[in-house]
Amino acid sequence: MRTPMRALVRSQSFGAVIGVVLMLAVFSIVDFSGWWRSQTLANVAHFSAILGLVAMGQALVIITKEIDLSVGSVYGLSGVAFITLEPQYGVAGAILAALLIAGLVGLVQGLLVVKGRLPSMIVTLGGLFTARGLIYVWTGGTVNNFSEAARSNPLTRMFGGELFGIEAAIFWMIGLCIALNIMLWGTRFGNRLLATGGAQDSAESRGVRSDHVKIATFTLCALLAGFAGIVTLADKPQTHVTLGDLMELEAIAAAVIGGCLLSGGRGSLVGAVLGAFIITSFRYELIALGAPSSWFITFVGVVLIVAVIFNQSLARRAGHSV
Amino acid sequence: MTLKGWILAATALATTAIPATIPGAALAQDGEKLRFVVVSHIGSNDPNMNWLTMAMEEFGKKYPDVEAEYISTNNYSIQEHVRLLEQAIATQPDGIAVPIVSPDAFEGPLRRAIDAGIPVVAFNIADGRPEGERIPYVTYVGGDELLTGRKLGEYALSQVEAGVVPAPKRVVCASHDSAHEGLKKRCAGMREVMEAAGAQFDELFIGAEPATARNTLQSYLSANTDTNYIFTVAGWSSPWAWGVANEMGLSPDVDMEGVTVLTVDEGPVSIEGVRNNHVLATNSQGFWLQGYAPLEWLYWNVKYGYAPQQDILTGPIIITKDNADKWADLVRSVFGEEAYNQQNTW
Repeated sequence: MRTPMRALVRSQSFGAVIGVVLMLAVFSIVDFSGWWRSQTLANVAHFSAILGLVAMGQALVIITKEIDLSVGSVYGLSGVAFITLEPQYGVAGAILAALLIAGLVGLVQGLLVVKGRLPSMIVTLGGLFTARGLIYVWTGGTVNNFSEAARSNPLTRMFGGELFGIEAAIFWMIGLCIALNIMLWGTRFGNRLLATGGAQDSAESRGVRSDHVKIATFTLCALLAGFAGIVTLADKPQTHVTLGDLMELEAIAAAVIGGCLLSGGRGSLVGAVLGAFIITSFRYELIALGAPSSWFITFVGVVLIVAVIFNQSLARRAGHSV
Repeated sequence: MTLKGWILAATALATTAIPATIPGAALAQDGEKLRFVVVSHIGSNDPNMNWLTMAMEEFGKKYPDVEAEYISTNNYSIQEHVRLLEQAIATQPDGIAVPIVSPDAFEGPLRRAIDAGIPVVAFNIADGRPEGERIPYVTYVGGDELLTGRKLGEYALSQVEAGVVPAPKRVVCASHDSAHEGLKKRCAGMREVMEAAGAQFDELFIGAEPATARNTLQSYLSANTDTNYIFTVAGWSSPWAWGVANEMGLSPDVDMEGVTVLTVDEGPVSIEGVRNNHVLATNSQGFWLQGYAPLEWLYWNVKYGYAPQQDILTGPIIITKDNADKWADLVRSVFGEEAYNQQNTW
């Protein structure tokens, strides 16, 4: 009989759940009063939500046995587009245009990977540089200001404001996590996405158009990154051309810590969000404990390696070949 | 021949001989253009690039016999900067202007260039090592980063005495590039002054990515609740620091309560921060001069062998509420009204 506990243990986010529990236990011991403050939790949850949005898109791509290195730059490009295009198209038009740009980048990358039979690592590395270069060329080094009227626009507040004192980004992340989970585990497309990453040949022999699935997934991933950029700047529009710099690495780390295997076919969106939570929490706690903030990247590396080892052993126990 | 005659003859000989031995002089005599390359870390990711490129345009108008190129990195990577420098040296220019972002990393390529007869002028960031140890460039044109931190700190303390801002208890220097020697010196100058005044001082690497930087700074302020001064070593990160402190209810405007923000640079963000009472002070390190003067010194060195006998400091000048309006007018005249307003992200 599949008890809830057994289901949790067998779930693909189990490693991340264990990680979060362990982390919370350790943080409670070493810094109880600092960690369990509403201000701390609000700070960590807010940034986890933004990184979580990007990490969920990355998780979907990794499940299809591909990778997207461009998400940080796409996040930046969409955010910059949102701010820069607002004077011309208004808030609604700028949001649509920014999402269109993100979707277009994802679509082109997907087409190049699938139709051009090119490695996704190379294509999206090109996307990373191209999108970042576009930001530099477009802005000339300075992202414009966001007018007071645009900041107080209801649509801007809906994306970047607060509800009951909680940042809108957190609600967006939760809502999209639920929707994407339903898509992944409850729809035919989700089934095909999992099958494409698990055993592409087998999936294709059963009529799954893995090329369509991958193109759609790259587009979805870029849209999520673009959406995260808009949500970030709708809240805090003072930005810089470095927006999203190196975020792709944190997003990949979050997805992998959350249980995604680079061998494809296995991964968890909830796990990716938990991975983002772990990464953000470590940043906070290291600083709170007085460690130089440059140590953070070292800790992410250690956590990543530990997570990969743990998740792979879990996957093997679940009968998944890795 | 009298002694006076010998001296005059020797001088005349030297005057005619020197230009022929100076690299590049032959090119100039042949009527070909001299080619100077500015290899910078201030790229299109940094609005300060405009100061430099605009100054270079002015130089081009005055010296039409020089072709001056500006190449730069677009990220905060010393490796990429060194690679650009190596590439520039390989093209055998008649002169190079370069900020010494990392003396260790730049030493090898620059010494090779100087040995090959390419004159080098350091700008924006000097080789901070003692004379004799440092890279033997012609001269340095730029601000003094240690002095920048120190002067801003001293100004803050003068305002404490005047009852404008509270006395510093804990100061955090928020830096976006942990390897940048100039930024480290800004922090060091501020540290010197603030620690002498009895304040705690920390350096915090926040990175250049806005959301991550805010998250990092917020984490620091949550954990170090006695922090009441934030010094951002880039002008563009000052609104982030102010925003984080404001959201945390730390009253970051310039008054006797809460947190006080200090920043650097003469860009619209920094100047408007001061004018709007969000930032206590910023500085100018004479960016325009840093784009113009290095090329002029290269020109005079190549053509006539001139070399200044000491570094040429173009700053710092402290910009406060008292002189910020004048600075706003100056920057508007350089950047244009529209660009100035667009770059004011407060």
